[in-house]
Amino acid sequence: MKKRVLAVVALALVMSMALTACGTGAKESEGPFKVALVYIGPPGDLGWTYEHDRGRKAVEAEFGDDVETTYIESVEEGPDAARVIRQYAQEGYDMIFATSFGYMDPMFEVAEEFPDVIFEHCSGYKTLDNMGTYFGRIYQPRYLAGLVAGSMTEVNNIGYVAAFPIPEVIRGINAFTLGVRDANPEATVTVVWTNTWYDPVKEREAAIALLDAGVDIVTQHQDTTEPQKAAQERGALSIGYDSDMRAFVGDTVLTSPMWNWETYYIDTIRQAMDGKWETHQYWGGLSDGVVKLAEFSPKVPQDVRDLVADAQKAIIDDDDIFCGPINAQDGSVLVAEGACMDDAGKLSMMVFVEGVVGTIPAQ
Amino acid sequence: MTARITQPTVSPPVLQMRSITKRFPGVLANDRVDLDLYAGEVLALLGENGAGKSTLMNILAGLYRPDAGEILIQGRPAEIHAPRDAAAFGIGMVHQNFMLVPTMTVAQNIVLGIADLAFVPDLGAIETRIRELSDRYGLKVDPRAYIWQLGVGEQQRVEILKLIYRGADIVILDEPTAVLTPQEAQDLGRILAVMQAEGKSIVFITHKMAEVIAFSDRVCVLRQGRVVATKRTADTNPRELARLMVGREVLFRLDKRPAQPGDPVLTLEAVHANNDKGLPALRDVSLQARQGEILGIAGVAGNGQQELAEVVTGLRPIKRGKLLINQRDLTHCTSLEAIHAGVSHIPADRVGMGSVGDMPVADNIVMKAYRMPPLARQGVLNRRRILDFARALIDVFQIATPTPQTHVKFLSGGNIQKTILAREIDACTDLLVAVYPSRGLDVGATEAVRRRLLEQRDEGRAVLLVSEDLDELRTVADRIAVLYEGRVMGVVNAEEADVETLGLMMAGASDPVIGDAAADPGTEGGRTQ
Amino acid sequence: MKLELRKRESISRRAAIVVPLASFGVSLLFGAILLIVSGANPLQTYAAMAGGAFGSVNGLTEVLVKSIPLILTGLGVALAFRMRFWNIGAEGQLTMGAVAAAGVALFWSQGMPAWTILPLSLLAGCIAGAVWAGVPAILKAFLNVDETLTTLMLNYVAVLYSEHLYYVAWRAPNYNSGTERIPEFAWLPRIAGRAHAGIFIGLAIAVLLWAVFRYTRWGFELKIIGANPTAARYLGISIARNIVVTLLVSGAISGLAGAGEVLGLTRRLQQGISVGYGYTAIIIAWMAQLNPLGVVLVAFLMAALAVGGDQIQMRMRLPASVGVVLQGMLLIPMLAGSIFREYSLHVSRARNQESRIENREDTDRQEDDAVDGEAAETGGANGSSRSRGTGGAAGTLRSGGTEGSAGSLRSGGTGGSA
Repeated sequence: MKKRVLAVVALALVMSMALTACGTGAKESEGPFKVALVYIGPPGDLGWTYEHDRGRKAVEAEFGDDVETTYIESVEEGPDAARVIRQYAQEGYDMIFATSFGYMDPMFEVAEEFPDVIFEHCSGYKTLDNMGTYFGRIYQPRYLAGLVAGSMTEVNNIGYVAAFPIPEVIRGINAFTLGVRDANPEATVTVVWTNTWYDPVKEREAAIALLDAGVDIVTQHQDTTEPQKAAQERGALSIGYDSDMRAFVGDTVLTSPMWNWETYYIDTIRQAMDGKWETHQYWGGLSDGVVKLAEFSPKVPQDVRDLVADAQKAIIDDDDIFCGPINAQDGSVLVAEGACMDDAGKLSMMVFVEGVVGTIPAQ
Repeated sequence: MTARITQPTVSPPVLQMRSITKRFPGVLANDRVDLDLYAGEVLALLGENGAGKSTLMNILAGLYRPDAGEILIQGRPAEIHAPRDAAAFGIGMVHQNFMLVPTMTVAQNIVLGIADLAFVPDLGAIETRIRELSDRYGLKVDPRAYIWQLGVGEQQRVEILKLIYRGADIVILDEPTAVLTPQEAQDLGRILAVMQAEGKSIVFITHKMAEVIAFSDRVCVLRQGRVVATKRTADTNPRELARLMVGREVLFRLDKRPAQPGDPVLTLEAVHANNDKGLPALRDVSLQARQGEILGIAGVAGNGQQELAEVVTGLRPIKRGKLLINQRDLTHCTSLEAIHAGVSHIPADRVGMGSVGDMPVADNIVMKAYRMPPLARQGVLNRRRILDFARALIDVFQIATPTPQTHVKFLSGGNIQKTILAREIDACTDLLVAVYPSRGLDVGATEAVRRRLLEQRDEGRAVLLVSEDLDELRTVADRIAVLYEGRVMGVVNAEEADVETLGLMMAGASDPVIGDAAADPGTEGGRTQ
Repeated sequence: MKLELRKRESISRRAAIVVPLASFGVSLLFGAILLIVSGANPLQTYAAMAGGAFGSVNGLTEVLVKSIPLILTGLGVALAFRMRFWNIGAEGQLTMGAVAAAGVALFWSQGMPAWTILPLSLLAGCIAGAVWAGVPAILKAFLNVDETLTTLMLNYVAVLYSEHLYYVAWRAPNYNSGTERIPEFAWLPRIAGRAHAGIFIGLAIAVLLWAVFRYTRWGFELKIIGANPTAARYLGISIARNIVVTLLVSGAISGLAGAGEVLGLTRRLQQGISVGYGYTAIIIAWMAQLNPLGVVLVAFLMAALAVGGDQIQMRMRLPASVGVVLQGMLLIPMLAGSIFREYSLHVSRARNQESRIENREDTDRQEDDAVDGEAAETGGANGSSRSRGTGGAAGTLRSGGTEGSAGSLRSGGTGGSA
């Protein structure tokens, strides 16, 4: 109880500071709907955070003066994130988005403390009445990208610069590999781990290692364009990720599985403003447009485009890609013929499918 | 050795230094020094440590500016403010510590710092030129070798090549043989001869008589900042040079009672030890110091005295031989064990080793006593007692310090030395090793130091006094051992010691005159000459 | 005209107060320039930063939260720096402390009485940190391996190892990264907001170290070694033993910082345990002139700078990079200022070589190998390079001295390069 009182005093203090310091006379009650986003990287990463920030800008464009958005970039997962999220909550933000898995516990902790603020956490699974989660089925466009890569590899070997050995990444590798193998049963996908989300140097080095090993197409799961640039410099092709990386690198990027948060952010904020927001675990796919495949490079021939278009239509018509028969890397049956993997299975996926070259570090 | 070229002294000197005076705080380093240098000659600059040789040459090389006097080059006044001015006048100096970049090649080092070097130097042409020069002067070095790959002798050759490459006509070598093996020293002699034949003028600084005789045409002797003589080498001899260099003035006499030696405290038996560079510094040294006597160690600096003191105080490992303190074998003792055995040490380097400048006088005074009650119990210091203890010693030793808390670095040299004396004498129970204890001190402080040493002797302790001041040794010591290149050249009784004989022994001459010392216990098992 | 630094005859009490204040003023001015260039109002920004750090109970407790690891690592670093052992491995020591504490808390909790887990975890953190510092110490003491390299390299080993643990080996199911939460009985109690009892441990160690430095033989010997290792050897002080013992303690303190973060704050091993605390600690130790009580103060200010720095983004809407640059801008004058405590600035007209020479030894003394040439007026010579003929300014990091003057940036030879 005492703590609450202190918090109120603290809040009052901060506000008076804000008033005197800025002299803008922030209007608390009847002001715009205030939204804050916590980013793991800088919006200039041209990848993950760039896409979230594009979503934020779309919100500003959509609502104009009715919504005020702000963000804080490059926040370390862990203790620092809790501080930042709490700070926003205390300063009267109505809705806070945290865009990295590692923000889950810090956000959960703060959400418990501020029941009147709406929290949305991207890619996690913990929810409260005032905390929802949202994510996208990026594995779907990854599968489509796999079709492109599988069709266009000449050496039947594709390189994958992988982030961390966690289900999200493994799911992406598997979906991509299924696509590759559906287009080209001879092709394999070679995986190297960087244990980074955003380390341009390391990610470039990993891509170069793969190119040295003889792959002719590179893709990745981190938030930089470095592997694509490295491939281009070597005269190799690549598949982007996060955003339409072709715009930043060039036509050697055949296509990119990408995020598209605009619609989601606009919708969920509108619900919150209208008082209709309810906690949820959102995991949208191609059908919602929250994930999509970027436009093709001119290098992609028409037959491949057609192949992808057919597959995309099938997925949107609710034909999931993790349907049997799928063999695991060691040849055992992962999904039996006629069966499909449920979401729980996808979310805890920790084995590679057949066609992946590489290992998941032992747990 | 090499054929001498007779000096046509009819031509005017290439270099004249006129009445050069240079003061450092408390020291008159050069006092109205005149020096002439002719084309194609080798001039030896001879003198003891502190005689002002290096200062004079550093002035010439542009590192120092004289307080008074002028420099004429080719008869015209020359203003030398910086090394690059000196270089412009064709003057170059090889310092004792080489100024080479170890991670760069010989060629790169040689052209390093040349002002008009092209932005992208043509290293090929440079290397060709270096090869040419090194052939001409017999300075064998590979221009592409890295400095770190080279031995000391080769590095010295690079330094000389550097000067020649840059067109130096006057080459100054600061104790060039100090770091060389005898073979390398011989090579250097040959190189000097070639340079001389090419018309270069060379000044080399030394305090070794043999080199003066072997290498030089003329010799200039400095003592206490003054030129005491300039002679043609052919017209002089080592004995005369030794006398000129050392001087014979006696500063003062101390009231010294006859020694009453007791049991041996320090015994060295055929001790061998290396210096910091791993070269032999002590060879087969056998000495003994007894209770109630002062054993003096004479010798030109760098002949093993330093190492001797370090061996005795446990700071330097003994390679062969034995060290006994009070008949206890302490051959492989640590410095702490030596301290516990009652050995005190007044080191030569009172700032670098003997004291901690950034700590208060009081702390410096207790740096040996702090381990024991009453100053410390169970590892906890008693700050109040420490202060009392220090105050008492400041009083007894008349250390002029504003407060006991003043940092030692703010004291004068004499008071720093008194601080060390206070600590070491207080801690001393058996043997006091004093290395150059009065060096750089004024007369008063010198006297105080010497009196303390005698006091220790009279209280029955053994004192090992390393000094390069023969007067000091003759006044203070009871017996004097002379070290040359790490060997004991002989041990003489102080009253019978004769400056010229000592000087000769210090310069490496085996001495036939001194036979009586053989009867002395100090030479037992010692050297035969 | 020429600017020249001259060593102060004594450390002036006035300079000890005026210099940090003036440095702080210059810092703010530098920062203001950056802010104006970035299009922000400096006054508003500073006010927002102060408000963020001190303007609320939450802010204050967050400053405490951040200052705990900074105090502990700062103390660990200061201890090692006292004897001039350049331990820049506090980051790794902290990380290993966190790993060990988490390991014990997570995996020993079965079969052991619950109340033992917290002390055991803290102890494990200490031991792990001590080992991590002990290895470079032993290498230095017995093989003379340069400690800056070894401690730095071990940082990477520790950080990558901890990543392996929380991403792979110890990862909790359903987690992208991070271990299971440690059992509640192993938590370090929180005292206000997220600030945990580690603050008391930090303060206690600070006071303890202060007393050690001032009142113990060990502290006395450390000071001698730090100020003049040659003298220490001559005085019979075992440098090797002191290196090992000191570094074990130094590492243990940093390890405790890591244990505190895990047990008191994150309650699991995860990313972000250290955000460069071990490196900030070096700055802190330095600015505190290696004084343990000073470390507490500086660590608190650094924590405030970090917490207040959030406001640069949150309220001033400046990019994160501006915040980082601003923090650097604020620090540099503070660090540079320390030189003026020991040196005073003189302006002279003539191109004066003389002044440069005066700090130099009479070179004749250099003739003797025994004399490690530094004149008395330049202060104690330790490991000083003797090849100073070119007159280049040899910057050396110096510590030592009394409580008031330990540690400052000193240049070995004044004057510009030739």
